[in-house]
Amino acid sequence: MFARLVGESFVRNPRRKVLTAAALVVGMAVATSTLTVALDVGDRLAREFRSFGANLLVTPQSDTLPVEIGGVDYRPVDEGSYLPEADLGKLKTIFWRHNIVGFTPFLDVPALVNNTQVTVIGTWYAHDVPVPDGSTFKTGVSITHPWWKISGRWFNDGADECVMGMAFAASHPEVAVGQTVYVAEDEISSSLTPLVVTGVVSTGDAEDKGILVPLSVAQKISGHAGEFRQLFVSALTKPADAFSERDPQSMTPTEYDRWFCSPYISSISLQIRQVLPGVDVRTIRRVADTEGRILSHVGMLLWMVTLAALLAAALAVAATSATTILERRAEVGIMKAIGATNVLVAGIFLAEQVMLAIAGGAIGFVLGVGLARILGQSVFGTPASVRIVLLPVVLGLAAIVAILGCLIPLRRAARFDPAPILRGE
Amino acid sequence: MFARLLWKLLLGSRGRLSVAIVAIVSGAAVISALMNLDLGVEYRLTQEFRTLGANLVISPGRAAQSVDAGTASPVLMGQDTVMRAIEQMRAPEQVAAAPYLYVIARVGDTPVVVAGTWLDEARKLAPTWKLEGSWVASRDDIAHCLVGRNVARQFNLAPGSTLNLKYIDSSAQLTVAGVLDSGGPDDNQIFASLPIVQRLAKLRGLEGQIGLVQLSVQGTAAEISAYAAQLAKALPQFEVRPIRQVTEAEGAMLGRIRLLIFSMVLLILVLTALCVLATMAALAMERREDVGLMKALGGSISRIVGLFLAEVGALGAAGGLIGCVVGLALSHWMGERVFGAVIAARWEVFPLTVGLMVIVALAGALPLRLLGKVKPAVILRGEM
Repeated sequence: MFARLVGESFVRNPRRKVLTAAALVVGMAVATSTLTVALDVGDRLAREFRSFGANLLVTPQSDTLPVEIGGVDYRPVDEGSYLPEADLGKLKTIFWRHNIVGFTPFLDVPALVNNTQVTVIGTWYAHDVPVPDGSTFKTGVSITHPWWKISGRWFNDGADECVMGMAFAASHPEVAVGQTVYVAEDEISSSLTPLVVTGVVSTGDAEDKGILVPLSVAQKISGHAGEFRQLFVSALTKPADAFSERDPQSMTPTEYDRWFCSPYISSISLQIRQVLPGVDVRTIRRVADTEGRILSHVGMLLWMVTLAALLAAALAVAATSATTILERRAEVGIMKAIGATNVLVAGIFLAEQVMLAIAGGAIGFVLGVGLARILGQSVFGTPASVRIVLLPVVLGLAAIVAILGCLIPLRRAARFDPAPILRGE
Repeated sequence: MFARLLWKLLLGSRGRLSVAIVAIVSGAAVISALMNLDLGVEYRLTQEFRTLGANLVISPGRAAQSVDAGTASPVLMGQDTVMRAIEQMRAPEQVAAAPYLYVIARVGDTPVVVAGTWLDEARKLAPTWKLEGSWVASRDDIAHCLVGRNVARQFNLAPGSTLNLKYIDSSAQLTVAGVLDSGGPDDNQIFASLPIVQRLAKLRGLEGQIGLVQLSVQGTAAEISAYAAQLAKALPQFEVRPIRQVTEAEGAMLGRIRLLIFSMVLLILVLTALCVLATMAALAMERREDVGLMKALGGSISRIVGLFLAEVGALGAAGGLIGCVVGLALSHWMGERVFGAVIAARWEVFPLTVGLMVIVALAGALPLRLLGKVKPAVILRGEM
């Protein structure tokens, strides 16, 4: 009997249900899409932040003090210590290896290029690093320094080629792309290394004044085969919080495990120290702190906007359910006049609302997922991933707001005296 | 007469109107809070990005900007010329401007980079520096310096210890005020106030000279490049260069975050507008008996529709105004929670929200026009 009553209500007067259902569909679509985006946005933004460059700097532990102004090291090559290039593949074996987006070794060599004193910077553009598990990992300045702009093309790894900095190119108008420059370590050195210029790079920093060469070439010029001096690591990290700032030594074993297994910048740098012995890993605070702060603030902001979206969705559903029920006062009057109890009346209305909520919520979820994909595509270039976990959440939310929306009008309807309602008063 | 009818209508049906009022007020609150947030968020974010440090550098041009220990003769800039030019131009919000003069001095036999600067401005340039000890507050303090972490480790320095700097044949004895940790190349340098370094290098005629100026300017990418161009015009003999690593990535990030928040806000806006529209439409349909009665009494349809439109319009305006106040308070609170700073209320949010609410409310009442065609008798009999 109850089921028939509810069923008849849908069949007899579908128009009345349309408004509530439409509100449910639209509301839940917005709720789904904002939730999907908010859940996804932390990872996306963290990845975007890598365009600011590396957030970890690896240097030899026993190094002498670098004499560095504006990114150029003025120390002679025979001073200070070096790190072995062969170990770098181990970076992709640490616990958070997938969070290591890229790394680039640097070896600066003060040298004579066409008889003028210039810093020759040895680095990787896109280098295949062998990883101990047998695979290779492509990395270099193309990943860690994405703001470097090239006109012409980059050097090929290992070839006798070079790229001029913009300021160097401006002060040496006689050197053009395609020509050969000659590099010597110093005046007394007899061996000249010929390098073909393949492009002009603009970095907006001190590298503009020097020339960039493949790491192996810089190693050959300086006589430090297989070694480098500085390593920039770009890693995806979780914003620092009070827990990550604590000294790992003072943690209990469970806390330590939690700290080690969270991609905090401090735990990643510890893991790097473990695989590369004799190194000093420092957080580039300027980048890491800004990233942490902005990520947590934008995340919080988006959760607030999401909350506002949920609120708006709830409001839309509640308001439309309330109006449809107010419209059906006459129906309530008849039901009560022929002997329906308040509980039965409420039961019929609630059952209708829940059925509408499930149908509307499901359709809304599908629409919302589509919307989130479009949003992710337009903002970040890749669609947001679908989270099926959200389906029960959204359905539950739809049911709750649909029920809440009709509770107040139902309470009022329970107090109605059937007679005046039926008279139309 | 019209006003009295309107007043009675609003007072007479408080029960029915309450749903509509709640919908309008909360809708307007959500919309105005988010609009205010969307307008204010860019300013706050550009401010947050300033912890990245300098985004503009003024240098003497193509030539080397360091005082290299003895080799090439340095190219420098006059401190007064540059700093005065910067001071005269405060177009966008300038966070900090610090002149720098670098020398490679010696501590014992080890060469160390000593940066002379205005330490009060340098601190604003690099708010992420961690300091152990105390900061050097005055620009003219010639007795104290700050040392980078690696320098302190190399020479076993702690706050309070003394440091002897030698540069060719001049020397300076300084007390270490603090040790700083930046995670960058600054860890390998000694920071002292500009007069110390200028005096240290005075035999080379460097008093009043600086090697470069670092500027931290707040604003969008377009504002910063406009400012850089303006600065370059004022100082044609020098090179004004935006630091691309900072400016470009910041511009891209800002764009994405703004687009994200804007599209979410737009979604909510549409949803809220639809909600108010639906509620108003339902309310209007409830009025059809009143329409029938008025028509039967001889009211012209345009007058009746006008009456109801005025009713919902007044409702929309009042609800929009109240909602706006609530919404601005809400965005005030959100700004405080998220950024620890207030997001200023924008006056343009008021007319936008109220206007939107009135339009949506009126649009919701439009189905009433259809009732004009209906015969009053049919409605009064309750057949429609």
